[in-house]
Amino acid sequence: MIPSPISSHSLPRVDALGKVTGQACYPGDITPNNLLHGKVLFSGQPHARMISMDLSAALALPGVVAIFTAKDVPNNEYGLIMPDQPVMVGLGSSKPHSDVSLWEGDHVAVIVAETELAAAQARDKIEIEWEQLPIVTDVREAMKDEIILHPWHGSNILHKYQIRKGDMAAGWAAADVVVEGSYTLPYQEHAYLQPEAGLGYIDEEGRVTIEIGGQWTYEDQEQVAHALGLPADQIRIIYPAIGGAFGGREDMSLQIVLGLAALRLQERGIKRPLRIIWSREESIVGHHKRHRAVVHTKWGATKEGMITAVSSELILDSGSYAYTSTKVLGNAHLMVTGPYVIPNAHLDSYAVTTNNVPGGAFRGFGGPQGAFAAENQMNKLAEKLGIDPVELRLKNVLHDGSILTVQSPMPPGVSIDQVIERCAAEIGWGDSNQLSVNGHQFSSIQSLIANPQSLCHGRGIACSFKNVGFSFGAPERCEATIALHGQREIERVVLYHGAAEVGQGSHTVLKQMAAAAVGVDISQVELVMSDTATSGDSGSVSASRMTWMAGNSIRGAAEKALAAWASEERPAKGYVRFTPPPTTGYAEETGECMPNFAYGYVAEAVELTVDVETGHIHVDKVVCANDVGKAINPMLIQGQIEGAVVQAHGYSLMENLWVENGRIRNPFFSQYLIPGIKDIPDHVESVIMEIPDPIGPWGARGMAEMPFMPLAPAIIAALHDATGVWFDEIPLTPARVVAKLREHGIGG
Amino acid sequence: MKVSMTVNGKTYTRDVEPRMLLVHFLRDELGMTGTNIGCDTSQCGACTIHMNGMAVKSCTTLAVQADGATITTIEGLANGSELHPMQKAFWENHGLQCGYCTPGMIMAATKLVENNPNMTEAEIRHGLEGNICRCTGYENIVRSVKAAAAQMGGGD
Ligand code: FES
Ligand code: FES
Repeated sequence: MIPSPISSHSLPRVDALGKVTGQACYPGDITPNNLLHGKVLFSGQPHARMISMDLSAALALPGVVAIFTAKDVPNNEYGLIMPDQPVMVGLGSSKPHSDVSLWEGDHVAVIVAETELAAAQARDKIEIEWEQLPIVTDVREAMKDEIILHPWHGSNILHKYQIRKGDMAAGWAAADVVVEGSYTLPYQEHAYLQPEAGLGYIDEEGRVTIEIGGQWTYEDQEQVAHALGLPADQIRIIYPAIGGAFGGREDMSLQIVLGLAALRLQERGIKRPLRIIWSREESIVGHHKRHRAVVHTKWGATKEGMITAVSSELILDSGSYAYTSTKVLGNAHLMVTGPYVIPNAHLDSYAVTTNNVPGGAFRGFGGPQGAFAAENQMNKLAEKLGIDPVELRLKNVLHDGSILTVQSPMPPGVSIDQVIERCAAEIGWGDSNQLSVNGHQFSSIQSLIANPQSLCHGRGIACSFKNVGFSFGAPERCEATIALHGQREIERVVLYHGAAEVGQGSHTVLKQMAAAAVGVDISQVELVMSDTATSGDSGSVSASRMTWMAGNSIRGAAEKALAAWASEERPAKGYVRFTPPPTTGYAEETGECMPNFAYGYVAEAVELTVDVETGHIHVDKVVCANDVGKAINPMLIQGQIEGAVVQAHGYSLMENLWVENGRIRNPFFSQYLIPGIKDIPDHVESVIMEIPDPIGPWGARGMAEMPFMPLAPAIIAALHDATGVWFDEIPLTPARVVAKLREHGIGG
Repeated sequence: MKVSMTVNGKTYTRDVEPRMLLVHFLRDELGMTGTNIGCDTSQCGACTIHMNGMAVKSCTTLAVQADGATITTIEGLANGSELHPMQKAFWENHGLQCGYCTPGMIMAATKLVENNPNMTEAEIRHGLEGNICRCTGYENIVRSVKAAAAQMGGGD
């Protein structure tokens, strides 16, 4: 069957009416009758063993209904990739080792009360005696394994990947120049504007039901079922409106404790819903971060600019529990050599357990850490070789069929060369008189007006590739069901799908795709979304995969539904469980594998101004060229680019999580600063390219993570262009910039 | 303490604790959950409402301070089923993604434009400094406010 075409259309969001009128219902807005309120008590202990816990004073407070602890959890363990974390740390647990808190954000009790205030007061009356244990917070210290945090694992090295390709000695021998760099990458907090909140209750069919913001209903269901020791169909997960995610809602927050409390309350004859809402402080302390990382890497190239060898050691601080660390590590490991042909490679990458906040999924998923090292190395190589950075990239980039460091060919549709060329053309690369600073105001630090003599301007470029979909053999799938209603003509199309709407616009694009796939007007499509009782398993909204995977599943379901329609079935239904081409995991010794089935490509150029007296950086312009394959909804894409650029801008320049002795010291928006409207680049130019992915739906690629990835190294390159100094660590806070410039005798 | 205020054209009287914040009064006492809470420190602006003709962060105001006040929340901005031009502009110009900042943004922006329909882009940015958005990168928010200003100015 020839698929019906789709036209690019900036359809206004289908969820906008509720969001502009205040009717949109976020989890904390759901207020059923007879509501109970809950609070979670965190351990506050980066490493300590619980000796005793006394609930009596808390339980005696008026309005307190129940307190649940470790001993109440049927199967006291969970974790997205391995069940290494207790639902609650405490005594009498069903699992060994769960009397030890490894993280200040470990849960130790859920308090249920008539009011939020009563729950909070009871939380403060719980008395716990802890035996302090020595903490490990530095990855290199942790790797010595003098104190082992997870005894069952036997080492703090949670996971190691390696790649061995070619002949390193020959690679170095062929190199005319070698560039060596050590890079330090910070944590980043998701700071989605809606702090975690959720509702737990028993539904009319007796299912433990949780309404919450997440990224994958079926994963939440599986985790809750595992911890509660119930079959999955006894658990129901519903996503109402979700206030942002960015990877930060991929792991459990309140899902299990809400389900546990609802279950245990019912056993006590209390059939009332329970709601928990976290404060911003609880949100920042209580969920994972982008991994901080250190990378040491060495690149060799011939004087003509051909890369001959790369070695690297990359270490992620995965914190106290695994979360998605091994997967994030896999991505960082692949992307630490950038979108380039590397004939000889010797790469070691580690995820290391510490007593810090867990590292986990965040837009880019390990890619930004890898890209930072790779792109800085390329820009340094260009300088050393005296070759233009754009030209150097074009000499080395991957093409269709190029062999990766993991010794498998790139899938067809590689467009990184075209993306780089387009980005360079749009910013006027090569013509340094064209810097767009004129006309823009340098926004001085208000108390310190800039001296025009101390302002320096520069321009830089970087690029990245990023997988679309789950990698390295992780089971990949996406289900869709389409029902066609009507008699003679199709009057109504209903799509049943699990894709979470976290703000990216998935529901809008799914509606567009369903209309195109069936061949009806968008107004005829209805969505039934994100409820395990009605919609299938879509996989997560992550890995820039949902448009790609859902599009393919919708096309398959539409085809079947139309066939059923043709054979007079009414309503005509089509169901598909779409699976993409298989991928494989890293081989232990060499790292050989087929890592991914699809990629997206991006390049960014930056123009900035730096005040060398104050270290204050102002980004004048960002050009982002992003190959999206097919722009189904261009305005939504532009919104993703602008949002990702500003998030990466915060990562590069401002966001500074202060973690000391395993504790986050600035868990507030007043101290952890994210970009406000006056902190952002003056101008973000989104260049949307449409080079089809041969196996994407209508040629579409994933795109939402890509614009995050190259911004930090592009800023570093522009800062070097402006000052002649290379910076190997972000965020580029004024204090860090000033200190480094002074070391080089600049300013002061 | 007894407080009485007019919210979206209707007068409500309630007995509240002196420590109750206005945002909790609106959300928990009146069930108007359109006004959101995004922080603990008065940074994000998700809770912005109109009080006596000014845009105010309702997490920074006590319910008792609003005694006798006239308040408009996001739920009261539209004229019946007809959306306010600012609401329409955010919808049409993709001025939102997750939408959590949106009620506060719209309330802050509406007051800005009412006070000066001919704002420059720099003035719009300055005026929205107290409202954080983590999703959009702000560009479409500025586009939305400009579009609404054109409508609102035209209606004078
Ligand atoms: S809730 Fe953040 S400013 Fe009011
Ligand atoms: S749209 Fe999500 S915070 Fe603004």
